[in-house]
Amino acid sequence: MLSVRRSAGAFVAVAIGVALVTAATLLLASGRPQVPDRLARAAVVVQSPEAGRADSFAPTRPWSAARATELAGRLAGLPGVAAAIPDRTFYAQPLVDGRPPASDGQREDAHQGHGWSSARLGGLRLTAGEPPRRPGEVVVDRALGLRPGTPVTLLTAAGPEPYTVTGLLDAPGVHVADDVAATLAPGVRAIGLMLAAGADPERVGAEARGVVGGDGRVLTGDRRGALEPRGDARTRWIGMQVLTATAALAGFVTVFVAASTFAFTVAQRRRELGLLRAVGATPRQIRRMVHREALTVGGAAGLAGLLVGAALTPALGRVLVDVGLEPATFRVRYVLWPLAASLAVGPVVALLAGWSAARRAARIPPLEALREAAVEQRPIGRLRVAAGALLLATGAALSLGTATSDDARDGATYALYAVMALVTGSTVLAPAIVGPAVRLLRSPVRRRGGAIGLLVRAGALTATRRTASTAAPVLLTVAFAVLVSGMVLTTTAAYTAGRADNVNAGWIIAPDRAPGLSDRAVAATGGTALLPTTVFVTEPEPSTGIRPLNALGVDPAGFAEANRVLDVVAGSLDDLRGDDTVALTASAAPAPGLPPEPYPVVFADGERVPLRVVAVVTDISVPGDLLLPRAVVRAYDPSALTSTVYVRDRVDPPLGARIIDVPAWAAEADRAEDRLVWLCTLLLIGVSAGYGAIAVANTLLLAAAGRAADLRLIRLAGATRRQVLWLVTAESALVVLIGAVLGGAVAFAGLLSIRAGLAEQVGATVDLVVPWPVIGAVVGLCLLLAVLASVLPTWRLLRHRPARSAVGIVAG
Amino acid sequence: MTTDTVTLTGLRAVYGTGTRRVTALDGVTTSFASGTFTAVMGPSGSGKSTLLHCAAGLDRPAEGTVTIDGTSLNDLGEDALTRLRRDRIGFVFQAFNLVSTLTAAQNVELPLRLAGRRPPARDVEAALDAVGLADRARHRPSELSGGEQQRVAVARALITRPVVVFADEPTGALDSAASRQVLRLLRGLVDDHGQTVVMVTHDPAAAAYADRVLLLADGRLADELTGGITAAVVAARIAERDTDPTGISRPAADAAVEPSC
Repeated sequence: MLSVRRSAGAFVAVAIGVALVTAATLLLASGRPQVPDRLARAAVVVQSPEAGRADSFAPTRPWSAARATELAGRLAGLPGVAAAIPDRTFYAQPLVDGRPPASDGQREDAHQGHGWSSARLGGLRLTAGEPPRRPGEVVVDRALGLRPGTPVTLLTAAGPEPYTVTGLLDAPGVHVADDVAATLAPGVRAIGLMLAAGADPERVGAEARGVVGGDGRVLTGDRRGALEPRGDARTRWIGMQVLTATAALAGFVTVFVAASTFAFTVAQRRRELGLLRAVGATPRQIRRMVHREALTVGGAAGLAGLLVGAALTPALGRVLVDVGLEPATFRVRYVLWPLAASLAVGPVVALLAGWSAARRAARIPPLEALREAAVEQRPIGRLRVAAGALLLATGAALSLGTATSDDARDGATYALYAVMALVTGSTVLAPAIVGPAVRLLRSPVRRRGGAIGLLVRAGALTATRRTASTAAPVLLTVAFAVLVSGMVLTTTAAYTAGRADNVNAGWIIAPDRAPGLSDRAVAATGGTALLPTTVFVTEPEPSTGIRPLNALGVDPAGFAEANRVLDVVAGSLDDLRGDDTVALTASAAPAPGLPPEPYPVVFADGERVPLRVVAVVTDISVPGDLLLPRAVVRAYDPSALTSTVYVRDRVDPPLGARIIDVPAWAAEADRAEDRLVWLCTLLLIGVSAGYGAIAVANTLLLAAAGRAADLRLIRLAGATRRQVLWLVTAESALVVLIGAVLGGAVAFAGLLSIRAGLAEQVGATVDLVVPWPVIGAVVGLCLLLAVLASVLPTWRLLRHRPARSAVGIVAG
Repeated sequence: MTTDTVTLTGLRAVYGTGTRRVTALDGVTTSFASGTFTAVMGPSGSGKSTLLHCAAGLDRPAEGTVTIDGTSLNDLGEDALTRLRRDRIGFVFQAFNLVSTLTAAQNVELPLRLAGRRPPARDVEAALDAVGLADRARHRPSELSGGEQQRVAVARALITRPVVVFADEPTGALDSAASRQVLRLLRGLVDDHGQTVVMVTHDPAAAAYADRVLLLADGRLADELTGGITAAVVAARIAERDTDPTGISRPAADAAVEPSC
């Protein structure tokens, strides 16, 4: 009883869904941390202790220079170890033609410097010249086009420094003499072990574990991937979020589209199924028949989707690297489990989608075979009303959760689930809503439309289920597009406004093609600078974890003047001077009020320093966790870079910097992140809009086939060809309009609750930003495909003269 | 000796609610003897189709019992009822109702396939041969004429060797020549194989093939003819009822005897 044409829509939907899931899971499985080339030759690497949660991407807590030397000495003595080399990393950026090269903005490793001995860990060999031996000597990347013996300016945290190129390497970054590296980066985060020939890395690793104990991690084999640059880990994490969301959305939407196709097929086959019941098919057999059909479609579509998805994965991987959702080291690897899992997705999704259709099919009474006209009766079942109401209630509750949630990340999650529940609920209830909605739109149609208006209205009202199943995908698509894009833009705008509001300055100096500003650049501007660094505190008992904190080195007077939201709850920022003071935010403080005992932190150089807490400020006062005198940060982190300088008047920007006004700075502060977020928003909207369009076209194509007899009758009753085409166009437009209005309403409800939540969080009124171009594009796409899908088959039908085909009884 | 294959007792059927409430059957009690051909007649809305649907287990009466071959349908669940319908009842529809994607032979064997049995090819051939369509086994419904489609439907109704065949206006969509073929086929089943047949019709000429005619009006059994049934007699009796709906003055219809064909 299987009809290929009838199931085409479900087939396409499931195939695309499986292709997306295949590609996403393959990419996910491929996205493993890569061992950095720099450390590839060290079979065993000892990493300093981890800090914070895995998804905070904080650096590890470094060992101090003394501790690193001691550890390296003991590790070098282990059997099988030829050498133990502490690896140091600091900021150093060679200038080309007096400025940082344009490409350096993206690559983290291009502006990193290391000690020369680190080159051994990557098996790097000089392609020309000599190793650096004295201060002022450097080995640079061959790609820069410099020759040994030529001078080069290195931009370091202190400022531009003159160096001489002594050699060239075929690797990014610069290498200086080990003594110089030890001054620029006293703290050590990794010690690489070079093994003697024939030594077993696992055995050496086990012995090394005995040496370091709890003060670090010993990594061997693929686990050395944990040493990848933090930026890469972060990029990969974002990419994983996007891929997971895409795969989940694809699965969710596939079930929807396939379910509506199956439901529609069953509705169209009522007579045939009734006949089968009359000649002796039990409800069970009918149910099994629909299930089997779903399984066949799902299996075949799954296989097709799997092949397409697997074939497209490498191209998609390259796209992900290009847009910055995966690090440049990303390679696609074909692994078995994603393929096996994706193969199962097709039948499972199809079965889920066919479940309710099968249930409905089994309930068709045998007498259905004797009914003549295909007029639908009960528009909506009681169970369906209950399920829809429950989903809407859940959605409303989740929206409330969004509105009252403190954490932005939780809020976004709530919002997504809220919309899923609201959309599912309103789709389930769509047949009940369609009637009133059509009646609401009745007056304009009646006045304008004449006979066509009458037919359109009557058709939409009697076949509420057909109307509903066409409107449902439009509803889904529009609701999703409006909500997600609106949420992203509103959130971005709210944070930008909040950020700009907090700053009291005329202009801002920001880094240009460099990760930060050097001390000399800051001094040239004469403004108030923020010098961020990461410090580490040991969490209080019983947890023994290490907590990374963002510290800002500031000049307290200037900082207080430039900051509009500074709110000191205890102590005074005036006391923030000397070499051992700190001001904490309330959440970083161990107890309310000024703690009398010292506050010990570990700095980037690995030194543990007890600090005096002189002030406590509110959390929103500072863009970080604690404030330190600028000199303290500089003393313990020689490679810290200034992120921002507030200035009163416009000045000429120094080397590696540019000057922008406050709103522009606020807008671009998170621009890279915002861009990624907006990219994946568009990706998700694209996926859902594509599906919506497929679903609309599919339902209308199926409906057009079923309506052939109707339309011929209308032709026989005296309608011109043009009138019939207008009729189907108006019908499709009406359906898309209903879906768009309902979807828009659902989404705006969600957006309003998100806005309420944001306003509470930012502490200011938040403007609702509605991306009309996106909404217009989505609705337009649905409208275009809907009209095409109904007009083209009708046009083909009308090429024949009306009386040529039989209109009367259609057998079976 | 004749036994009653189908017994209907006090059947009441009601449709709709409130002011739209329609009583389709209002206390019908009758039975159909084994090996007989009964025609059920009556004006539109008299309840004749409802009677047939209830008797065949396609619809459930509000009150009353239906017994087929000793089994009461009231006690059966949906699955058991379907199985009984599949095994013991044949049904012929007005609009043929063949599955358009299946060939004539596949349509005929469908009920047995649904019962999980695969009939031997010769049984299907024999069934099609019995309705004179042995050479049309591989044709699809769209390649058959209306009369041929209806004969395939008869063959499908007979494939399970049912105890009773119900036919709902089987000639309603056919021209007179095709109608005669189908009616002769049904008559032959009764005469040659002792098949029990119950047919709803509004055509006196079709009713003339039956052994017994039941006339329904407003959901009640209004009249009954047995013996010497011709189209003229049936038409006359219907015309009488239209002028004298009470049916009290009853002419001696039995007097006007003409041999039925």
